[in-house]
Amino acid sequence: MSVSEKRLWAAWSRFLTGLVGAILIGFLVPILVVVAVSFQSKSYLSFPPNDFSLRWYQQFIGNDDYRSAILNSMMIGASAAALATVAGISTALAVVRAGAPGSAIVSALSIAPAVLPQIVLAIGLFPISVWLGLQGTLWAVILAHAVIGLPFPFITVCGALTSYSNRIEIASMTLGANAFQTFRLITFPMIRPAVIAGFIFAFAASLDELVLALFLSSPSTRTLPLLLWEQLNFQVTPEIAAAASVILAVTSLLILAATLLPRLDKDN
Amino acid sequence: MKQRSFLLYLPVALLLTPFFLAPMAVIGTESFSGQHGIGAEYVKVVTDQGIRTVLYNTFYVAAMVTILSLLIGYPIAYVLARLRGRWATIGIFLIFLPFWASTVIRSFAWMILLGRKGPVNSILLGIGLIEDPIRFIDNGLGLMIAMTYIMVPFIVVPILNGLRAIDPNLPRAAAVLGANPWRQFLAVTLPLSMPNVAVGCTIVFVTSLGFFVTPSLLGGDLTVVSMLISEQANRLLDWPLASALAIIVLLLTIVIFALLRLSQLASRRRGKARSGVFA
Repeated sequence: MSVSEKRLWAAWSRFLTGLVGAILIGFLVPILVVVAVSFQSKSYLSFPPNDFSLRWYQQFIGNDDYRSAILNSMMIGASAAALATVAGISTALAVVRAGAPGSAIVSALSIAPAVLPQIVLAIGLFPISVWLGLQGTLWAVILAHAVIGLPFPFITVCGALTSYSNRIEIASMTLGANAFQTFRLITFPMIRPAVIAGFIFAFAASLDELVLALFLSSPSTRTLPLLLWEQLNFQVTPEIAAAASVILAVTSLLILAATLLPRLDKDN
Repeated sequence: MKQRSFLLYLPVALLLTPFFLAPMAVIGTESFSGQHGIGAEYVKVVTDQGIRTVLYNTFYVAAMVTILSLLIGYPIAYVLARLRGRWATIGIFLIFLPFWASTVIRSFAWMILLGRKGPVNSILLGIGLIEDPIRFIDNGLGLMIAMTYIMVPFIVVPILNGLRAIDPNLPRAAAVLGANPWRQFLAVTLPLSMPNVAVGCTIVFVTSLGFFVTPSLLGGDLTVVSMLISEQANRLLDWPLASALAIIVLLLTIVIFALLRLSQLASRRRGKARSGVFA
């Protein structure tokens, strides 16, 4: 390769890296804009905001609709993620360790909710939720969100189980531990980081989900995305931006926890 | 152990049978239960001009978003794959940060950015590129921009994994044989990353087909199939038609993933046949 060719490639390489760096930083702009408009005092959205006020945050804090929606979202998210995690761990154990029959089909079904458009599930779940008398209760949304959360703990735990040999578990069984003792003392400590990560992903999926909540909830079980959605369709105010900024801050803390907790856990 | 391993399926069976498999069965039967006779809903889907336009819009938007995501996502994955250590971590962190913000909030962000008096129009007007504000939200352009923004991380991750799995000796061997960097990329790296490009494109395309939030907020007059299903069920109470549309979306999803799987199997077989020649 000639010297000029080399130089040209090096220049192109630098240009590409710079461009990608700019794109990645540009990806943050939409989020920063939401935060920026939340601090203005006018009642319509203007950008750039030319004053600073916490007016919309005060209104957000005093808004009972948001309070109950946040509470609903937290309860639904935690319960759905817990159900999804239990089902995910148990299925992963069956598929990876126990060599249960039909593992290919069960794996496909356990991952399917991640790619199936939510509107399809919503249309089918609505009549079932009515028949079972769940419609309008928190359980309707919890169970639906447990289904869409299932793929995350299933995938993370499968990954953790394949990353180490089952000889440790066989050794434990040989030494006289029963299946449950082996799970509690050997398997679970090994897969704990994956379980935590899977739980948090499932929780986040529930916090973000709108379509199922739209079909399955009542005004009293309204979730946070649903409330934001209704407000956006009604009138766009900086209060929505303030609510969104608070949610962004909380989710950022959640991600930080998701990335740091498994690491801390490993160190112990 | 083998006999009792069935018990481990119990939780997932209790969850998926009533709340995933039964719903699919329900929409299947519901779609044939219309007053106009068996299969009438499907005939309507195929013949009704309005529904055909909606299906066309859905495919058009999904295809455009897939192409745009690939064009933006591939260079990102390529650069990230070559980074090492701290910079690689920072890059991946940056790509995932917006990924975690809720879809409603990200769509809302683009409603602000692309509004008639929003920052994008102000900047374009300010530098004199346009004379009248662009109506992003009416013509589907804003929708595609926002959806691409949401979908890029989904395509970066599989391509990044593919590029990282390429044996660095292969482009090196090409270099020894006299290929310049462009040739190394076009003849070695790009073809080897194609299976993962296919995975990324499939995920983005299928997810885009089912998008509801962003098209409702930024689509303007443009209707996509999820909005139509929701409207038929919620406002018009035409559950048989809504179910028929849902079944079509479901089948499309299955067919697209089956095609991806088949192409993966075919390329693996080809790969085996090829390595057999050298063995």
